[in-house]
Amino acid sequence: MKVQRLNGGQTAALIVLLFLILWEGMVKLLAVPVYLLPAPSRILRTLIEQPGLYANASLITLGEAFAGLLLGVLAGVLIASLLTLLPGLEDGVMTLAILLKSTPLVAIAPLLTIWLGFGVLPKILITALLTFFPVLVNVLSGLQKTNSHHLELFHSWHASRSEIFCHLRAPGALPYLFAALKISAPLSLIGAVVAEWTGASGGLGRVMWLAYTNLNLPFLFAAIFILAAAGMSLYRLTAWLERRIIFWQSQTGL
Amino acid sequence: MNVEINALSHTFFTPQPRPALLNLNLSIPSGQFVAVIGPSGCGKSTLLRLIASLIQPTQGSIWLDGKTPAQANAARQVAWMAQSPALLPWLTAEQNISLARRLLATRLNHQMSVEEALRRVGLQQAAHAYPFTLSGGMQQRLALARLLIQNAGLWLMDEPFAALDEITREKLTRELLELWQPAQPTVLWVTHNIYEAVRLADRVIVLSAAPGQIIADIPVDLPHPRAEDSIVFQALLKQLRAALNHSREAVV
Repeated sequence: MKVQRLNGGQTAALIVLLFLILWEGMVKLLAVPVYLLPAPSRILRTLIEQPGLYANASLITLGEAFAGLLLGVLAGVLIASLLTLLPGLEDGVMTLAILLKSTPLVAIAPLLTIWLGFGVLPKILITALLTFFPVLVNVLSGLQKTNSHHLELFHSWHASRSEIFCHLRAPGALPYLFAALKISAPLSLIGAVVAEWTGASGGLGRVMWLAYTNLNLPFLFAAIFILAAAGMSLYRLTAWLERRIIFWQSQTGL
Repeated sequence: MNVEINALSHTFFTPQPRPALLNLNLSIPSGQFVAVIGPSGCGKSTLLRLIASLIQPTQGSIWLDGKTPAQANAARQVAWMAQSPALLPWLTAEQNISLARRLLATRLNHQMSVEEALRRVGLQQAAHAYPFTLSGGMQQRLALARLLIQNAGLWLMDEPFAALDEITREKLTRELLELWQPAQPTVLWVTHNIYEAVRLADRVIVLSAAPGQIIADIPVDLPHPRAEDSIVFQALLKQLRAALNHSREAVV
C-alpha cells in the first residue's frame, strides 16, 4: 500500500485538529463546567454567533499589531544601520535600548494610556517597543558579521563604507532580519492585546477583558482562537517571504 | 606594474608578538609572473595582504610603480583573488561582474564589457545563473572574469585554485595563462604546490618557515606551454623540493 506523504502545512493542520478533538473529548468526558474550560465547539459557536463583533475587534487589534510591528521593524533596522555606519555610538545606544527593553511592559502600557488616551496610538507604540528589540539585535549582528572574504574583496576594490553597506552588509543581513521577524511578528499581537488590556475603547484585548470580568469563558477563548490563528498566519507569511527573498540561503553556503 | 619591497618585516600582535615576515627584499619587474612558495604559516598570504594594503607593515616599505600600496589600491590598480571565490550569492553571474565593474568604474582606463569578461572565461551560457548553481571550477572562473574586468597592473592571487580537484585545477591554470598573456600584468601567485609554481611562473620565490625570509629565488626560463616531463622541468622541481625541505629543517 502506498503511503501518502503529508506536506508541512497538512501535518500542522492535522496536529491542531487532533488537539482540538482531544480537548473536546476531555471536556465532554469529564463534564468540565463551561466557566472553567469551554469545549472548542462551544467556542466556535460563540465566534459564529457574533461575527460582526469579532471582525471589528480583530480589525482594530491586527491593525495596531501591524502598524506597531512596522514601526518597530523600521526603527530597529534604521538604528542597526546607523550603529553599523557609526560604530562609536554602539555602546551608548545599546545600553539605552537594553534599559528600555528591561522596563516591564505592564509598567509602560498604563503610563502611555494615561498620557495618550484610549485610542490606538499607545497600542501601536507599545507594540513597536516590544518588536523593536529583536530586530535591532539581530539586524545589527547581521550587518556586522560580514563574510571576511567578501570584505577583503571590497577593500581590494577600495570600496567606500556606504558601498560596502549597500552591496554587501545590507543584503547579507537579510537572513538575520527574517529571523528577527519570526520572533517579532507573533510578539506584535501580544503587544497590541496587552496594551488594550490596560484600557481601550475596542479590540480583541478589550473583548477579552470584558469576557474575563464577566467570567464568560467562551467569549474569552473565541478571542484567543483568533489571536492564535493570526499569530500562526503571520509566522507562516514571514517564513514564506523568507523563502522567496533569501533564495540563496537554503543552498550550499557561499 | 613593478614591485619594490625593501627590508619588509611584519609582526602580528595576538597579543603576543608573532613575527610573520622578516627583512624581505624583493624587486619584481613589470609583467613578471612570480610564484611565492613556502611551508604553511610562512607568511605568504601576509605578504600578499601587505601589498594589497589590507594590512599595514610593521617595518620596511613597498612600492608599486612608485606608489604606496594604499595609493595603488585607491587607484584600483591592484586586483585580488583568493581561494574563496567570494561571489555574492544573491547576485547572478552577470550581476556579480557588473557590480565589480560599477564599483571600479571611475578608475577603469579601458572598459571591458560584462559579456566580454564572461566570454573570455567561457561562462557566457551561465550569465543568468546564481553562484550556488555553479561548480567550484565555474565559480573560480567567474572570479577570474571579475579580476579581468578590473584591468589592473598587478594581480595578487592567494592560492586561487587550491580548493579544486587536480584536473580542474590544471585546466584552470592553463586558461589563466591564456588570460594573462595578452596584457601581461605582474602576478604574485601564492601556492604550496611546486608543480603549479613551475608550470606557471617566470620566477619562484621560496620562503622559509615563520618568520618568512627569502631562502631561494629561482628563475624559470621555459617557454609556455611547458613540457612537464622535460629534463629542465624535472630539475627545477628537484631544486624547489630541496629548497622547501631546507626551509622546513631550518626551524626543526
